[in-house]
Parts: sequence; C-alpha cells; structure tokens
Amino acid sequence: MAYLPEYGLYYYVMALFGELFLSDVIKKPVFDPKGEIIGRVRDVIVVKGDPLPEISAVIVQRKGRLYLINWASINIFNRRIISSFLYADVMQEYERQSEDLRAVRDILDKQIVDANGAKVVRVNDIKLEGYNGTAVLVAVDVGMRGILRRLGVENRSEDVLRFFNSELPFNLISWNYMQPLRPELQAITLTVPRQMLSELHPADLAELISQVSREEGAALVKDLDIETAAEAISEMQPEKQADIINSMETEKAADILEEMEPDEAADVLSDLPTEKAKEILEAIDKEEAEDIQELLGHEEDTAGGLMTNIFIAYPPDITVEEAIRRFRKDAEEIEPIYYIYITDIHEKLIGVISLRDLLLAVPGRKLSDIMITKVKTVSPETDDMVAAEIISKYNVMALPVVDGDNILLGVVMVDDVIDIILPPSAKRSRRKV
Amino acid sequence: MKRWKTFLIFLTVMGPGIITANIDNDASGITTYSVAGARFGYDLLWTLIPTTIALVVVQEMCGRMGVVTGKGLADLIRENYGVKAAFFMMAGLFVANFGNTVADFAGWAASMEILGISKYIAVPVGALSIWILVVKGSYRFVEKALLLACLIYIGYIISGIMAEPDWGEVFKSTVMPNLTWNAEYFYLSIGIIGTTITPWMQFYLQSSIAEKGIKKEDYKASRMDVIIGCSMTDIISFFIIVTCATVLFPHGIMVNEASEAALALRPLAGDYASLIFALSLANASILGAIIVPLATAYYICEAMGWEAGVNKSFSDAPQFMGIYTMMIVAGAMVVLIPDAPLVILMVLSAVINGLTLPFVLVYIIKLINKPRIMGEFVNTRGYNIVSWLTVAAVAALTVLFVCATVFPIA
Repeated sequence: MAYLPEYGLYYYVMALFGELFLSDVIKKPVFDPKGEIIGRVRDVIVVKGDPLPEISAVIVQRKGRLYLINWASINIFNRRIISSFLYADVMQEYERQSEDLRAVRDILDKQIVDANGAKVVRVNDIKLEGYNGTAVLVAVDVGMRGILRRLGVENRSEDVLRFFNSELPFNLISWNYMQPLRPELQAITLTVPRQMLSELHPADLAELISQVSREEGAALVKDLDIETAAEAISEMQPEKQADIINSMETEKAADILEEMEPDEAADVLSDLPTEKAKEILEAIDKEEAEDIQELLGHEEDTAGGLMTNIFIAYPPDITVEEAIRRFRKDAEEIEPIYYIYITDIHEKLIGVISLRDLLLAVPGRKLSDIMITKVKTVSPETDDMVAAEIISKYNVMALPVVDGDNILLGVVMVDDVIDIILPPSAKRSRRKV
Repeated sequence: MKRWKTFLIFLTVMGPGIITANIDNDASGITTYSVAGARFGYDLLWTLIPTTIALVVVQEMCGRMGVVTGKGLADLIRENYGVKAAFFMMAGLFVANFGNTVADFAGWAASMEILGISKYIAVPVGALSIWILVVKGSYRFVEKALLLACLIYIGYIISGIMAEPDWGEVFKSTVMPNLTWNAEYFYLSIGIIGTTITPWMQFYLQSSIAEKGIKKEDYKASRMDVIIGCSMTDIISFFIIVTCATVLFPHGIMVNEASEAALALRPLAGDYASLIFALSLANASILGAIIVPLATAYYICEAMGWEAGVNKSFSDAPQFMGIYTMMIVAGAMVVLIPDAPLVILMVLSAVINGLTLPFVLVYIIKLINKPRIMGEFVNTRGYNIVSWLTVAAVAALTVLFVCATVFPIA
C-alpha cells in the first residue's frame, strides 16, 4: 500500500505487471517523481512470502553509498523504467544486516544442488512476476539464455540462431522446488531428494524432470519404479520424452514403454532414432509391441496418431449381467474406461453403451436392446483438431476411430485431446498463479 | 608420537600441490629453462629462488581458499563477480590454454622425432590415447596415470647429475644474482616467472584441493603439500638449467627449443643424457596435453554451471567433453599442418596468459580477504603486505614480458 499525499489516500501499488528477469533491472537508474535519477539498482532484498518469496526492498547505489527503498515506495518497476515516490534527500541509508537475503549477492550465480548434494546447474538469472502488488520470485533461469542475457547478447544470439533455423530453449526451474532460502547460503538446494520423487504426482514429477539437465533427469527416472516412471514420462513434452528414453538402457526403456498406454508409447518411439526405436520395440512384450506397431503407422496429427487401440468391445447378443461380469475382468488392465463398444463378428462397430447406462440397465436384457446405434466416428486420417471439435461438440469422453469398412480400430480419449488444445506448459503456468 | 600423526595426515592430504606444480613444467617451461641455461649458463639460476617464493605465496592462497570454501576458483569468481567477469576470464583462459596445448603437442612431436618416430604417427597416436584416457577412463585411473607420469620428471635430475657440473659454481650462482644488462637476459628472467606462475594452475590447484575435500583442520598439511610441490617444480627447473648450462653453454651452442637441447646434448654428454632429456620432454609434453585441455574444460563448465567430470559420458556433459575434444583435436592438427604459424600462436598464447594473470591474482587476493567467504582464514595484515607485493611484482613483470614478446628488442 502506498500513500498519495496530494489526494490524501492510500492505494495499492501495482509496480510490476507481468514478468521480468532480475538482470533486466540491475544497474538501471531509479527516478524520483520529478524524473531525476536518485541512484542505480544494486540489489533487491528478498523475504519469505506466500506462496513465493517476494521483494521487500530495492537497494540503490548513489555516489558510492547504498540506500534502501521499500517496495511500497516503488512506483514503477519494469525493464524500461524504475521509479520511486521518494526523493533522493529522504532516502534511508542501507545498513547491512546479517539476516538480509539479497538476490544478487546471495542467489544469483550460486550452484543449485539436488537434495543429495549433487551439483545440478547454476543460477544464471532470476525470473520475477507481479503478483497482488508485490514482485515475487517465480523461477530461476539455469539455461544458456540466462548467460547470454547477462552478457547482454540474448537478442542478438536469438537472431543468429534463427538464421540457422533453431532457437534458444528456456530453461527455468520453478521456485516451488527450491528449499527455503537463508542468508549466506553456499548453494541452493532442491526440495526433493531423488528417493522421495515417486511420492510426487506424476505430472509434477514430469515438470521437475523436464527442468533439470538431461543427465540429472535420466538419473531421476532411473531411481523410480517402472510404473511411476511410465506415468511421469507420459506427462512430458515429446522431445524430453525421447531424450530421457534415448539415454536409458534398452531393457529399462522397454519395461517403461510396456507400462505406458500404447498410443503414448508409439508417440515416444516415433521421436526416437530409428535404430534405437527398433531395438526397444524388439525388447517389448510381443503382444504390446504389435499394438504399438499398429499405431506407429499413423500420422502424428491425425485421429489415428492420437488414438489408443486398447478398448473394450463386446458382441451384441450377450446380456447386461454377462457384460458386467466380463468388464470386471477386462477393465483391470485398461484405464480409463467410459464406454463399451458393441461389434459384430467382423469387428464392425454397431453400437455403444456408456458405463453408466450399463450399470443402470436391467441385468437380463441384451446389449443390443440398450445400445445406442447412432455412433459418432472418425477415420484414422481425420485431423486431430477435427476430432477434438467432435468430442467437444457432442460432449463425449471418447471417440471411436473406424476404417472404411466401419471396423473399429481404436478410440481417441478426451484427455489426449485436452493435451493438444491446451499444451502441458500452458496448464502449468496457470496452475502456478 | 605426535609427529608420526602429523606425517600420516600429510600423506592423506598430499597430492594436489605436488601434481599441479609438476605439471606446471610443461613443454614451454622446459624450453624456457633450456634456452636460459644454454644462453647464459648459471647466470639465471638465482631467479628461481624469488620465483619459488612468489609461487608459494600465490598457491598457498589458492590452496587455503580451496580448503576453506570447498569450491574452485572459477566458482568463487562467478559467484562473487558475476557472469561477465567469469565469462571473459574463461574466454582468455581458453585461448591461452589452447596455445599451451599446441606447445605441448609440438614438444611431444619434437621429442618423438628425436627418438626416431615420425610426428605424423606420434601426434595422432598421442592425441587419440589421451582422448580415450579421459573420455572412456574413470577418474581414479586418470589420477593414477598422472601420478605415475609425475615420477618421470626425476629424469631431469638424473641428467643434471650426469652432466657433472661444478657444484660450487652452481651454488654461488643460485644465491648470488649475477645481473647482466642485456635485453635477452632480462626477457628470459621474466620468462622464467611467466612460465612458472600461470593462470590455469591456480584454478587447477584450488579445484583439485576442493574436490579432494580436505578439512580445515588439515589445512597445515595441505600447505605443506603446496610448499613441497612448488619447491619440487623449481628443483626440476634448476636441474634443466644446470644441465644445459654445464654442457651447452661452454661450447656456445644456442638452442631455441627444448628438443634442440636434447639433440645438442648427445655429442657432449652422451646418448643416455640426451635420451633421458628427450624422454622427459615427451612425458612432460603429453602430461601437459592431457591436463591443460582437461583443466580448461573443468573451469569453463564450473563457471558456466555445466555438467563436468571425467566420469560423465558425452551425452551427459556435452560442453565438457566438447571443449576437451576440440582442444585436443585442434591442438594436434595445428602441429601437423606444415608451415603452420606456430610462433604467432605461441606469442598470442603467452600474451593472453600474461594479460589474464594480473586479473586472476587480484581476484585471488580480493577473494581471500573477504570474511564472508573465508571467515577467520582471511589474510593477516603482514601476509597481505607480502602477497600484495608479490602480486604487484608478478603482475608488473608479466606485463613487461608481454610487451617484450610483442615488441622483441633482442
């Protein structure tokens, strides 16, 4: 909150909107309300905040001396301009206090180690974001971008790389994974020891693994049990999946892929070098390997590329009771399940029953009596966005994929569709705020 | 009993100081000493005493920082002076060390030719073997190989004794400066300091002490290791100068290269002295060709926060292995190209070494005086005076050395 004397009122300052990097503001001039320079940014003091650490004051240097400007007295704080409500003559001199945590002195350039003390990366920069009127530390930049930005050549390097048709990756580690900071720290520690990682949700785990270096990521995966590893890898970005799987031994990779849904496994394999993919495929259980191979034939951005070929289909002439009995056994292996498909002896799709309807139906009735026959289907060549639109329009949880003869090939699940409409990274940044 | 215990502690702590100092006598160092001995006899021997003192003062500080902080010098510079300082220092170190690597391969090629092996075989085989040693080998194996190779330096002491110098004369020249007002004399005497106190060895020493995890309580033993190492390196230098001074100087034989010295020794001191001299040069060169690129890759990755380590694979630590491989491949190739401008590269390397050293020394002395980093282990006032004087003298002399290299007066 700040006090505005001419109006006699208090109001919330939103000094920082959006995001910026610490290196963008260091050594930048700070202006007073009349536009005079009152000093240059030297450091910022960080205090514990909820949920993330926040900036409590800015340390500025003026004629060789250090002064403190409380965050409440900061008017504008962005990469173009930094201004304060204060004039130079009322600035309070900064007195060193041992408990102060200073971002430049104590965090920037420090080594990040994992919970076991192994070196991971270095803090090249710190990302700040405006949040409820404060500036919070959201992530540390540990990539090449951070180094180039500090050297003042980030944009030029981007131009050069664009010329060669590649781009600089962003390499950030979210502050959620850092241990609480204390002053005078020697290194920054990740909160999660490797052994504890399997207790995290696979999606969080995937995020963590994606952010550390490849070597570290592969080591993290190696320590997980097969099931957790498979789930975590399913949640990662495609390049990262391929990276991690590629760096594993063939046997272990095969075990993990077996555990994954066939469509996910096929996606991962299609991103691997052909030799490695072949090697892994040979090590996978024969039945699973066939499922995967079938899916590998489809283009990635079509319904065929998106679908899974694991689904439940029963003949029309069995009873509801029999169907439920079979379902109890069959569904154990497959997840998630929303519909039972009804196929004739030629595997042609003739109807569908939702799980809810099946459970509510009279046990003695035949499936053919209760099934819905007007089934929305797509062909494997259908564009994945079209499939997504159909799922959204008809409010279904899964969309069957059939060939020209109406033979059921697979299903596109709603969760696979969400991943194309809303890429995993977008989901993440939303959750953080 | 207590003395016994102290000795045991020393045995566990020793290593980094001795290895670093020994490898410091690489091809360019040996060349400087050979030329100095052949050209001026025993006259330049006295420079070794102040050089040793300066080396001890500087290395002791790096050793102390390594023990107290558990971090390398590149780490500390990056953490306290930011990316820019670290980046430019590393860039300088990279160019200078590339020159050193080339010099080492050149030394290897020349000594192998003396032994009758063509450089077109010796250099590729040497480069490939040291590349495999690091990329495929484990840390323990690499360390053992290096320690073993350090023993071969004793060869220089043997050839010195075989030369049968007049020990009275040698002793007198060592303690009594015999100044000659001559541009070449002046150039060679600062050259001796310049090749003995190099930027890369400060980084190497501190990292290896930090990596060894020596505790503060054992610091005294570690200091002993540094002092012994520094003395050993200059004892080797001493014997190289003595050999060339005794055998070559009286006959007025001028040499420009360490390998020429080995060749010139043959008719005068016999096949064995010559052979030992050549073998020792080969050993020193190949050791340098392993350590200098390896050290460079280590500090750059340390400073930039990249994965590093002999035990890591190419895909785990791409920058580390990339820098190491690049330096070896390019270094070996430069030596093999007929009529490559080796001299210009050497001069450039010496100049950048000389220009980087003052900065490194100032960073060292500023870092060691920070209580936030060093706690009670900061320099005492008396030691500070000594070290500032040393740093100022070494820095001034290296800058002079650079000037003399760029604008030869001789």
